Amino acid sequence: MTTLLREHAEQQYADELQALAAHDERQRPPRWRLSPWAVATYLLGGQLPDGTTITPKYIGSRRLIETAIATLATDRGLLLIGLPGTAKSWVAEHLAAAVSGDSTMLVQGTAGTSEESIRYGWNYARLLADGPSAAAIVASPLMRAMQEGKIARVEELTRIPAEVQDSLITILSEKTLPIPELGSEVQAVKGFNLIATANDRDRGVNELSSALKRRFNTVVLPLPDSLEQEVEIVQQRVTSLGRALELPGEPPALEEIRRIVTIFRELRAGMTADSRTSLKSPSGTLSTAEAISVVNSGMALAAHFGDGALRAGDVAAVLVGAVIKDPVQDRVAWLEYLETVVKEREGWKDLYRACRELA
Amino acid sequence: MAPATHHIFGIRHHGPGSARSVRRALTALAPDLVLVEGPPEADAILSLLAHPELEPPIALLIYATERPDQAVFYPFARFSPEFQAITYALLHQIPVRCMDLPQFHQFALEKTGEAHSLADVSPILAPANDPLGALAHAAGYSDGERWWEELVEQRRDDAAIFSAVLEAMSALREDQPTPTDPHEAYREAWMRRTLRQAHREGFQRIAVVCGAWHAPALVSLDGARADDMLLKGLPKVKTAATLAPWTYGRLTFASGYGAGIASPGWYDHLWAMGEAAHDATAVTIQWMTRVAWLLRHHDLDASSAHVIEAVRLAEALAALREHPVPGLSELEEAARAVFCTGSDAPMRLIHQQLIVGERIGSIPDETPLVPLQQDLRQQQRRLRMKPTAERRLVELDLRKANHREQSALVRQLNLLGLAWAEPGEVTSTGTFRETWWLQWQPAFDVALIEAAIWGTTVRGAATARTLDRAGKSDVLSDLVSIVNKALFADLPDAISPLMDLLQRRATHTGDTGELMDALTSEDGQTRSSLVNSLRYGSVRELDTSLIAIVVDGMVTRICIGLSNVCTNVNDEAAATMSRRIAATNAAIGLLGQSAQREQWLTALAQLVHASHIHGLLAGQACRLLLDAERLSNDAAARFLSQALSSAQPPTAAAAWIEGLLQGSGMFIVHDEQLWHLIDTWLGTLTDESFQTIVPLLRRTFATFTRHERHLLGERIKQAPGARPLEASSQLDHTRAAAALARVQLIVTRR
Repeated sequence: MTTLLREHAEQQYADELQALAAHDERQRPPRWRLSPWAVATYLLGGQLPDGTTITPKYIGSRRLIETAIATLATDRGLLLIGLPGTAKSWVAEHLAAAVSGDSTMLVQGTAGTSEESIRYGWNYARLLADGPSAAAIVASPLMRAMQEGKIARVEELTRIPAEVQDSLITILSEKTLPIPELGSEVQAVKGFNLIATANDRDRGVNELSSALKRRFNTVVLPLPDSLEQEVEIVQQRVTSLGRALELPGEPPALEEIRRIVTIFRELRAGMTADSRTSLKSPSGTLSTAEAISVVNSGMALAAHFGDGALRAGDVAAVLVGAVIKDPVQDRVAWLEYLETVVKEREGWKDLYRACRELA
Repeated sequence: MAPATHHIFGIRHHGPGSARSVRRALTALAPDLVLVEGPPEADAILSLLAHPELEPPIALLIYATERPDQAVFYPFARFSPEFQAITYALLHQIPVRCMDLPQFHQFALEKTGEAHSLADVSPILAPANDPLGALAHAAGYSDGERWWEELVEQRRDDAAIFSAVLEAMSALREDQPTPTDPHEAYREAWMRRTLRQAHREGFQRIAVVCGAWHAPALVSLDGARADDMLLKGLPKVKTAATLAPWTYGRLTFASGYGAGIASPGWYDHLWAMGEAAHDATAVTIQWMTRVAWLLRHHDLDASSAHVIEAVRLAEALAALREHPVPGLSELEEAARAVFCTGSDAPMRLIHQQLIVGERIGSIPDETPLVPLQQDLRQQQRRLRMKPTAERRLVELDLRKANHREQSALVRQLNLLGLAWAEPGEVTSTGTFRETWWLQWQPAFDVALIEAAIWGTTVRGAATARTLDRAGKSDVLSDLVSIVNKALFADLPDAISPLMDLLQRRATHTGDTGELMDALTSEDGQTRSSLVNSLRYGSVRELDTSLIAIVVDGMVTRICIGLSNVCTNVNDEAAATMSRRIAATNAAIGLLGQSAQREQWLTALAQLVHASHIHGLLAGQACRLLLDAERLSNDAAARFLSQALSSAQPPTAAAAWIEGLLQGSGMFIVHDEQLWHLIDTWLGTLTDESFQTIVPLLRRTFATFTRHERHLLGERIKQAPGARPLEASSQLDHTRAAAALARVQLIVTRR
């Protein structure tokens, strides 16, 4: 077992990628490690002729993933948009791993991301000693991806200041990165493309300029369609995270996960699952990722301070914190939900009582 | 002379590709009779389909004359093969007939079985009736129409297409050459019988246009005897046929019809492309250009570069999915990725205006009466309400069944936009009497034809239109007003969906004040509030159980949100809120549910205890709790004392008193403690602050009755230290004289 806290996608799933490549006889776009069909199988899961099982990396709409792959094949940039916790970065990482076999060409967008980290910087010692030269340039991951014909990733594009965002425009439309200091440029090699992720819900984001938007094809990653699907995602991630973090205690009962996911889905949708009662939605996003973290924290509580099994009390403490982000509006929404739904529901009495105590 | 033959053209209902092929095949064949799958009752009105004023989409409407709610629509768009076949025949003056099992049998058969309502599927739209679509899916096409295009593309010979279809269907139906469903068997037997009849009449080249599924059953006309036996003695009812205008929206699945086509606008596009529809790239480019035009028209960003990228992505997607050409789903997804940049609004627009389309049909003036008109006439006769051009007053006593129905009928017509009746004056306060002014106008007949799209009976149409309007209203009080109207108009089928809608809106409104208004405000026409309807609905024999659930939810939400909306408000908002609290309090009293009352009083108690609540509202809450005996006088005195303490600005204190004494001040006369508190407070005020609050106090005391004010005065006199006002000895006689004259004037006038 590795001592790394977290492996890259291409390390963790190296076997699957190798098996896919071995069986892939379809046409591959230039410098793609796999054909578009094999990339789709890698993301969505499947079975190879030799019996190798490819685990699904993304549980959800096949059509969206196909649109994303087709976009990468048409040399247009791919912009993944979605609420926080809808697996944008996850999908981007796996797409890069499957297409280029390398998911490390990554620029993390922050409020402090500068133009140098998108284009190139200078090795100042070299610059002072020898003057501007190709050797004095420190290439950004994006520049390296262009030179090597790989997929580059820009995470959280909307957190980058607008004027820095716009330095991507030339790269996307002309597929070149001019270096005026040397009077030269880096022209992208076939196989280069860009995947950016963005979310439009968080505070403190910079709207994308329409010039930049125009250069991307957009794929919106939705929240999971059905309760079953979401329970499956939460359970899969909770189990693998629990193993990675070496949490003591029993794995949570499916019923408890189902209950948490149900609460998240109902509040998010503003409607009970039987669509009889409508509800107010809290201001938070209540993403699947948050549901996963509620289960995880609940398990940690149960393991260290409880009796080891995930009980309503452990869940309630974490749940209230996850739902109520705005002390006034969300509290009203949560109380209404408690009184009109949780209270009446068969077998939820324990949860109601535990939540009532906290409220 | 060649032997008489019939040529079968198996088609896809509403398939533009089929329509084109049929049109070409008919031209090549030059038939002397055209038979289409449709109700024979419509034969007499088929000629209207070539009328210059007719504009598809329209629907053939067959209904039982005795029961207009038993009706079936056969919708046709311009790309429907049947429509093209009929208009071809009319244009070339070739006789054209419908050959399906007549609805006079079908209705009668249904009568014996399950009830048939408007919402039922018309046979032409039954989802299982798209075997060609199923074949297309089997061939890997996402879209049956694109498959048909490819088929036509590969073989230009239309006759060959139809024989291929016939062959494919024969293979599909190999297992069951005769349908197991008796209803289907009747239909096919009738079609064969019609064909035999045509042969007997001596027609030489008969063109048969029918759903592909039926094609194999019509090849051989043997077994006449068996067919006759089967059809012998079928029950019959009286039917009539007419036309109704249709919309693309109603051709879709979402319109409430169990089946339909998902994308009339897309089919229309394929039809409009004409022969160019064979060119996949041309179709994609044209479509994406239309998308761009639409978005630009709505001020959304859509350039030619977008169109190019969208076309490329659609083709790449089709390749990835191994479809030979992009189908509608590829076009949709490509448009979403390229044009929409993460927003849903443009896609909704595309769906609504392009994929479904907004085309509305129109019908010529010569069209026979629609059943809605007939239904109204029948009801007017039955209820003895003759439509007259003169304006006359009718008085209704709702305790009589007949009058109740009359009231419901005029209200239903009002909901349909026919103002036959206007509400008269309120003559008494009783809930069982109402008056109406009736006046019939000729324009109403036109309005009825327009309303035909909503249904075939007044009640059904009113229900459909009301639901449509309710779905579009986003103000809660409007919705409540619609609910009241629907209740009074006796539309039981509307109530449940309306309540769902009301509940949803009530949940999502963040404004508790709006909720309180929704609960208590009276609708102008019905003069009833939601609570009144619930409480007194029994006079009209309304089923109010659903309303009770919704009202219960609204009360809970009001109680949870009450303290929030009363916090940090200005005087004006507080006054509005105070009226709302009073109305809600009365409403909850009227409802008489102890659980609701409990919740409400708890919420009021929060107002008294919480800080930053406007004085008017806190005082009012205190008063309501006192009245409900939830608060002892001692406790009330404590709160009053807090409110009047010197830390509070005098205006806030005055507002508190106003809230407390609203309506009546009797109880302070009798409570020594409260009396003393107010008295002391007034005594401590400085001159300046007294001046400020005098108008406020006046406003409060002016609402009391004379008797109360008299008692208050008496009480003041008895108080220790009270002294009568000393009249000034120096009277100004000139000024007094002017006043006296005015007083005399008033006195003598009376």
